[in-house]
Amino acid sequence: VRRTKVRTAGQALLAAGTLAATAVSAHSASDAYLTLDVERRASSAGSVVIHGQWDVALRDLDFVLKLDDDGDGNITWAELRKHQAAIADYAYTYLHVSSGANACVVRATRQAVDNHADGAYAALFFDIVCDGPTNSITLDYRMFFAIDPSHRGIFVLRSGDNIATSLLSPDNAKIELKL
Amino acid sequence: MPWPGIPRLALMLILGGVGTVSAAPSADVTPMAPYRAPFAPASDREVLQQVPAASDPKVREMAALRRKLDAAPSDLRAAADLARAYIDFGRQIGDAHYAGYAEAVIAPWMAKPQPSSVALVLQATILQFRHQFSDARDLLKRALKDEPHNAQAWLTLATLDMVQGDYPQAAEDCQAAARTGGFALGLACSGNRLSYVGKAEQSVALLTQIEGDAPSLSDPFKAWVQGLLAESAERLGDWTAAETHYRKALRYTPDDNFLVVAYADFLLDRGRPKEVLGLIPNDAQSDTAFLRLVLAQAALKSPDLARYSWIMAARFEALTQRGSDYYGREQVRFALHVQHDADLALDLAKRNWQVQRGPWDARVFLEAASAAHQPQAAIPVLAFLEQTKLQDPVIEPLARQLLLQLKSEPARAR
Repeated sequence: VRRTKVRTAGQALLAAGTLAATAVSAHSASDAYLTLDVERRASSAGSVVIHGQWDVALRDLDFVLKLDDDGDGNITWAELRKHQAAIADYAYTYLHVSSGANACVVRATRQAVDNHADGAYAALFFDIVCDGPTNSITLDYRMFFAIDPSHRGIFVLRSGDNIATSLLSPDNAKIELKL
Repeated sequence: MPWPGIPRLALMLILGGVGTVSAAPSADVTPMAPYRAPFAPASDREVLQQVPAASDPKVREMAALRRKLDAAPSDLRAAADLARAYIDFGRQIGDAHYAGYAEAVIAPWMAKPQPSSVALVLQATILQFRHQFSDARDLLKRALKDEPHNAQAWLTLATLDMVQGDYPQAAEDCQAAARTGGFALGLACSGNRLSYVGKAEQSVALLTQIEGDAPSLSDPFKAWVQGLLAESAERLGDWTAAETHYRKALRYTPDDNFLVVAYADFLLDRGRPKEVLGLIPNDAQSDTAFLRLVLAQAALKSPDLARYSWIMAARFEALTQRGSDYYGREQVRFALHVQHDADLALDLAKRNWQVQRGPWDARVFLEAASAAHQPQAAIPVLAFLEQTKLQDPVIEPLARQLLLQLKSEPARAR
């Protein structure tokens, strides 16, 4: 084999550019899990309370809110607890519910930790309460879309014996739900 | 909990359809399952999640690039630098989140009526990362129309064509990459291509030329070349050389997910699963790396296998739920070697073959067809191999064996 002196015309590219060499992707992207459960109230006709659990990956929350205070690469329970209020402030900014002309309130109740196959999540528990009789709601979900359009909200609604699912994405951020 | 059963609904759905593995939460195996109901940890010091450490130079660099962009939000160059840093970091640690972050960074430029080639190539790289190959190809062609001398676009196009088994087209792309990006780039591109068309010796010869003049090249580029050399050595069955190159590559870019995974496959093939456990950490967040851990546990007949495979199945199911479908190759191997479901493996292999046609894709297809006793299913792959003349000490005997079966029972159908 003839040895050829390698010229370095593409140096800048090779140093700074993204090499296309590896077309193998490897890893979960960002998911959140949003589950709503409809509770019909016997006392007042048509009135409902919706209980929600929203699991948001600590990895994602760390990217926007910097949960790892000491920067050691580990999010501890103490660090997470310290940021729970900030997490709620951030998350509930991106979740809106309405019911026709009626306003609905999303009321945070508590937080816990939930483990999924790809890591730990903050489990945000909340109630949705709407004024007046409620047969359907509109859910508007924008979590992380502005910083990561590949984020997906995996959504499950349970109302009586019915289960509805949806994949929330930038193209499917607003959904109508019959309760 | 005010509504029993509901909080775990998402998880139950995730576990639905994963076959025998979905039985894992039953009483006798519960201690092994990594899941429990949402909880409050007992100790403040309990580590819940690992994230990139702020002290990591790459994390610091990304933060600096982010500040630069924030100071000049309409500066495409600042955006491109940050997007590139995200893509590189995501690739290195095997985390798709960063492709999403990069996409958000260049989104304003992609939203313009005539996106610049810089934005188009970055977006194409992101799509390629997600195995959206034809969309990526379209963007690259648009970029090259505007800027025919964009070497990165040519190289990415070459990679796409190689991944999809279009080697004649890849040859043209590599020539263009050499013309526009320089000799080393052209050599690496061609060296890569030759290993897929039965010319692994020439591949090694070309790649070795780059190696000889390495000091002036960047570490990621040198790591890439070493990885290609390792792959070509494997084509030739030169295991010693392959291992040397893998180790060299990992010295240039330690912990690089792509290389770690390729080296793990090498170790698994050589019957050295124990070393895979040392190579890949137990809590690997990269799914491709985690699969190798599971395969190693399976090869070792580890008592922990059930736990590992449960997590792997749940991860695949989570991907399916979010509509991602780009783990074909990995899913075939999981179905075949862990779940021992040859028919499922073959179905997955057929779907994967529609998307990508690298040597590993051919190999898992043949393995699945063989295990499922359906040699006729492998005909398209066998024809592809005959046409491309891929040489490979694992794939060639597999292909011969399937051809023999086809000849001896040509009419067998299932």
